[in-house]
Amino acid sequence: MKEGRIATMADTTIRGEGVSKIFSGSVVAVEDAHFDIRQGEFISIVGPSGCGKSTLLRMVAGLIDITSGNLTINGSVVSEPRNDVALMFQKATLLPWKNAMENVLIPTSLQGRKITDADRKQAIDLLQLTGLSGFEFAYPDQLSGGMQQRVALARLLNTGSNILLLDEPFGALDEFTRETMNMELLRIVSEVKATALFVTHNIAEAIFLADRVFVMTPRPGRLARIVDVPFGKDRTPDLAQTPEFNRIVSEVRSILGAGH
Amino acid sequence: MKTSAVTYVKHFALFAAIMGLWEVAARQEWVDSLLLPAPSKIFTALINIMFQSGLMWHHFGVTLYETVAGFLIGSVIGFVLAVLAAQFMGFKTYSTPYVIALQVTPRIALAPLIIAWFGFGISAKVVIAAVICFFPPFVNTLTGLLDYDRDRMEMFRSLRASRWQIFTQLQLPGAMPIIMAGLKTAISLALIGAIVGEFISASEGLGLLMQRFTFQLNMAASFAILVTLTLMGLILYWIMEVLDDRLVYWRHDTRLQQRATRDRRRYASLLKGVGGGPALQPAE
Repeated sequence: MKEGRIATMADTTIRGEGVSKIFSGSVVAVEDAHFDIRQGEFISIVGPSGCGKSTLLRMVAGLIDITSGNLTINGSVVSEPRNDVALMFQKATLLPWKNAMENVLIPTSLQGRKITDADRKQAIDLLQLTGLSGFEFAYPDQLSGGMQQRVALARLLNTGSNILLLDEPFGALDEFTRETMNMELLRIVSEVKATALFVTHNIAEAIFLADRVFVMTPRPGRLARIVDVPFGKDRTPDLAQTPEFNRIVSEVRSILGAGH
Repeated sequence: MKTSAVTYVKHFALFAAIMGLWEVAARQEWVDSLLLPAPSKIFTALINIMFQSGLMWHHFGVTLYETVAGFLIGSVIGFVLAVLAAQFMGFKTYSTPYVIALQVTPRIALAPLIIAWFGFGISAKVVIAAVICFFPPFVNTLTGLLDYDRDRMEMFRSLRASRWQIFTQLQLPGAMPIIMAGLKTAISLALIGAIVGEFISASEGLGLLMQRFTFQLNMAASFAILVTLTLMGLILYWIMEVLDDRLVYWRHDTRLQQRATRDRRRYASLLKGVGGGPALQPAE
């Protein structure tokens, strides 16, 4: 459990000490999780259904209270949603009555200020960054599932948050689109120098994206091990064919197997 | 999908056949033409009350006024109560028994009471229309507001949206399709309420004319009034459809396309300098 490099307080962004979540008095969703996440790190959280990975993510997001333990972001205790943390879901959660640009502007309008042309320009730039040139004013119903997630990604980036929480964001997409989206995600996250927490149940995907993989096992939900992924930031799909990559896949799989 | 010319021809042929059969049936005295007058007689009566005597228009206006005023009052009350109920769950808990009682009571039975309270004038009919049409807007608004998308709600919460922002930017627009459906039902109920009110006691209105003509056994004129009421119903329905098309534009493909094109033109200057990109193509 204490695997991974030892982080100093200074560069730790998110710190969990004995984080637990017990639902309705008895269901243990997450038990005693310890972790440190550094600024700019890409963390994948992998595990089967019911291992508490989404719960852990929502605790970091401030959407769910923790039952016990200590969870801090940049030194302050997480008690509610914060400005510097943004969440992306498996569903695009776009508003069908707003076009792509307006959907990207939701975080801006929720700040309660008037939308300016500069805001619109930024939204359009983000849509183009996520590969939606030509679809800036299309409505969600006019877009495919993959394109809708691109809008959601642009909206996520428009929060300006530097901690991005991604809950199986491409889980509902087909394999090809998903691979493309993962590559884009890697590129964009490193471009904006964000810290990312990426939840998935796909082991290869988790390893491909991450600097470190949090492996979680169910009943009760435990952060069983943190696995280092010693590849640089520049990754191509060929990486998944290398022996080193497959060794890590086997390692994660054996941890998950042992947890049952 | 466009309706083809052939379909129109078939519709017309069917309608003409029914009218023709009816005309023959009445003329040949297969049916008592006193009770079921021929379409030609009805048409003549219609022309008379509409254009020759012009008798209809005043009463048409009265009934239309009662219907629209009753609809507006009933809908606004239904909407406001539903919003309150959705915001304060206690309100819902305590109001539900009364709402159900009101729903299962045939509200038309309140009409004589309302006339006793409000008199024989137009205001009583407005109240009857309001009471009868209040329910669909109430239930639909409440259902729509409570049946929000949980994931979108979580997204709003994670962006620290206030309760007011959640209501105005998420719940209310999300509920609009079902609210509009409630309003469409309400407008036809309001018309029923106005007519029933006029049946019970009135000095003007199409319901009164209908009753008067039937008592006089002037069946052609009665049917002409019926046609007039159909016309009114159609006009109201059409207005609601137009409103629906405007307010719930995201449910209508052609509207979406229009708006996307309009926005592209409106914000064209913002697209410059970042490459612009091709014009919108429908996805997939």
